Amino acid sequence: MSKDHDHDYQPSDISLRVKAVESLLVEKGLIDREAIDRLVDAYENKIGPHNGARVVARAWCDPEFKKRLLADGTKAIAELGYTGIQGEDMVVVEHTANIHNMVVCTLCSCYPWPTLGLPPNWYKAAPYRSRAVIDPRGVLKEFGVDIPESTEVRVWDSNAELRYLVLPSRPEGTEKLSESDLAKLVTRDSMIGVGLPKTSA
Amino acid sequence: MNGIHDLGGRHGMGPIDIDPEQPIFHAEWERRMFGMFILAFAGGHFNIDQFRSAIEQMQPSRYLESDYYEHWLHSLETWCIKNGSLTEEEIDQRMKKLAEGAP
Amino acid sequence: MPTMFPASQVDGLIRTGGSCRVNVAVKAGFSCGDKIYVVNINPVTHTRLPQYVRGKRGVVVGDHGVFVFPDTNAELRGEKPQHVYSVMFTARDLWGDTTPANDKLYIDLFEDYIRHADPK
Repeated sequence: MSKDHDHDYQPSDISLRVKAVESLLVEKGLIDREAIDRLVDAYENKIGPHNGARVVARAWCDPEFKKRLLADGTKAIAELGYTGIQGEDMVVVEHTANIHNMVVCTLCSCYPWPTLGLPPNWYKAAPYRSRAVIDPRGVLKEFGVDIPESTEVRVWDSNAELRYLVLPSRPEGTEKLSESDLAKLVTRDSMIGVGLPKTSA
Repeated sequence: MNGIHDLGGRHGMGPIDIDPEQPIFHAEWERRMFGMFILAFAGGHFNIDQFRSAIEQMQPSRYLESDYYEHWLHSLETWCIKNGSLTEEEIDQRMKKLAEGAP
Repeated sequence: MPTMFPASQVDGLIRTGGSCRVNVAVKAGFSCGDKIYVVNINPVTHTRLPQYVRGKRGVVVGDHGVFVFPDTNAELRGEKPQHVYSVMFTARDLWGDTTPANDKLYIDLFEDYIRHADPK
């Protein structure tokens, strides 16, 4: 067995190394360059937290949809057309008056791509991944969110293939807003559980 | 394995770098690496568990200090080399060629 | 043998993904409300059982269904499909008595990772 693959290259070479690997795999007929382009376009320009925001706004406006969302996240989210890679098995967890939810992947970076797009760097890095499970209230403070002692903080570690989406509470005083205006209040961070929805657009 | 990736509950990892305005991809190489991983997975070079397993075997300090998508490059290379799709020498030679500006 | 995945199929791939659920009937060894403890395994190979819950006591709060088992799949030793349970731990049981009393941790544990806790 050959020795473990070890890297001597310096970090500044990484761009060159990725170019090298891509060009080799393309030449060998193993990777289609245009396929890379299409994937990048999809996740950079099309798929993002605006998807999840629509799911949340729908749940705020439609109690039957909300029931379906909490009972079977995958199926309900699919009603809005958000399906696929890293969202094949969804669980939606709801804030209540007494419960605040927060999602993490301590082991790597698992995140619900169809509803939230690709995760931010901080979600994938050691500080958040290590502290979210042992000091969620400290983490929330760093994000500017203060949770009263009487509230139960629930941290969800998405270590298997279930992907978690937080359903935040509808802000007060938004009864007159349309569903699409409500969606504008829903931030990415509020669907991870490290932020709260905006109170006005 | 009890690797450094198993981070839950560890202390001393530093403050969370929140950076609210960050782009989805910070550099062109990240875009290419993202796409290559998905296509290699869809093309049957490895399953998802094998992919993660290779990342977990990175040198611990490298795992913590590298950019995120470098983890993916490490795993892709590991599996391509194991499967015989690539060799270290090929990668090094191609890097030299590209650095010299060869077409 | 690895193949080239074509650009024409990228849209379909994005929308369909690849669930790790396995459509096979597997008897569930646990149900909601069951008190469990987490096994103390320390494999040198891949596992999705983090160290911070090993040996700890929790409660099964849900059954997600049957999925591919990563520990064997990573080594090409088979899919070993089994139930994945949502298990709740109190923060105090995980981290000690200085932790806020109300806080909870929920994690998804494969059947191989848990055992029924001894009745007290």
